[in-house]
This record gives sequence, structure tokens and C-alpha cells, in this order.
Amino acid sequence: MTDLTVRVRMARVEGAQLVHLVDDFRELVGANRDVEDPAIGRLIPDPYPEDEDSSRAFRDATRDDLLDRRALDADIVRTALAGMRGDLGDMPRDEAFAEHDLDIPLSDVDAWMRTLTALRLVIAERLGIQNDDDHDPDDPRYGVYDWLGYRLELTVEAADRLL
Amino acid sequence: MIPLATPDIDEQLDLSAAPLEPWEVVVWNDPVNLMSYVVRVFRTYFGYSLERATMLMRQVHHDGQAIVATGPRETMEVHAQAMHDYGLWATVRKASR
Repeated sequence: MTDLTVRVRMARVEGAQLVHLVDDFRELVGANRDVEDPAIGRLIPDPYPEDEDSSRAFRDATRDDLLDRRALDADIVRTALAGMRGDLGDMPRDEAFAEHDLDIPLSDVDAWMRTLTALRLVIAERLGIQNDDDHDPDDPRYGVYDWLGYRLELTVEAADRLL
Repeated sequence: MIPLATPDIDEQLDLSAAPLEPWEVVVWNDPVNLMSYVVRVFRTYFGYSLERATMLMRQVHHDGQAIVATGPRETMEVHAQAMHDYGLWATVRKASR
């Protein structure tokens, strides 16, 4: 079965938000990436924290491929969201908040979940989130972080129904 | 039954060079990762049952870490990289601890 899809519903404003985040992310992991950026570091965990030589060898061998795969995943999400874009400024409010169905082919679902997770990792790094209790209700970036978690949760739920 | 090949009894296998020592992949707790997502990754990537995947996720969440795979070092590195692809914090170490 290759035509199975996972349906996610999102308002146009959500789609626009996600487009914005994914575009920033593609910039971050794209061809001109800065591997010294701590947010990039968060995407490539140290597999050998107690063995510097093995750690360097492993990361040298795998880092670029891993970031290339993050960029490919993000491209898949971005392509799927292409139809969600719209000039929100000119759009009536009820249209901007109307929900749209997005049918993600099962083969693309991992790319979606990895991208939503990677976006959360980047924001977490920028915000300095280290444990479960780190939260600042006055910082809107936490709102974005939580919303991405909610989107991921819905995607996992929908995809798990096909397991 | 006729053997397809006759074993060459003169061949010496250098067992000291064989990587018999097992390694393991450890997944560490990270507040970023959703529990449902971690369970799904363990189920779909390793093929673990819902029960086993959930048990491992709880171990990560409550104990801070869980051993999710054991085997040859090269295989464990492949698994660790896959975990990194999914945004999970995984490390590789010798199993003899």
C-alpha cells in the first residue's frame, strides 16, 4: 500500500506560520550553514561524550549528511505547504482561520515529524530549554514551541492509527 | 545430503580480531521530545512492540536514559545516527558496564 496518507488539519494562519519557520530552518541547515551555531549543534548530538577522538571521527564522517537530510526533510514539508500560502493581510478573518486538510503520503510522514522535532530543538536551543520546567509565559517563542509540539502530537496520533 | 561446500579445516580464524564485545545505544532524556513521538520512533525504527517501546520511553523519561539496542559497534553507530535523524539524543558506549 503506497497510497496511504495521514491527514492533518490546519488553519491557513498556522500554515503560514509553519512556512515561515520552515524557511528559516532551511536557511539554517542549508548550503551556507554555520556549523558553529549552537542550534546546529543541537541537531547533531555528541555520540561519544566520553571519547573525544571517536566523537570527532563520527561527527566528521556524518555531520554533513545528517544536516543534508534535515534540509531534504524540510523541503518535503515546504513543498506540501506550498498550497497553504496566501496573502493573509488581504484575507478575511474567517478564511484565514478556516481549517484545511493536508494529506501527507505515509512515506513523507517521517520527514514531517523529524522537521517539527528539529524546529523545536532549534527553538529550545535559542531559549535555553534544559528541563521539563523551563517555561516563560511572557515569551511568545514558547507559544511557538508549544504549538509545534501540539502539531507534532496530532501528526503522531494520526500516523499511529495506521500502525 | 551432499554438502554444497567442503569446509576447509586448515583455515585459521583469528578470533582475537573479531569484535565480540557488544556495544549499546543509549537514548537520554530531552524535554523537547514528546513521549508519543519517542514511542513511535522506537516502534517504527527498531520494530519494537508498543509495550516494549512504551517501557523504554518511560525509562528514558524517569531514569534519564535507556539502552535501546545492543550489538556490534558499527551497527550501534548506524542506530545512533538514525536516532539523531529523529532528533533523539543518543550515545554509543561499550556494553560492559
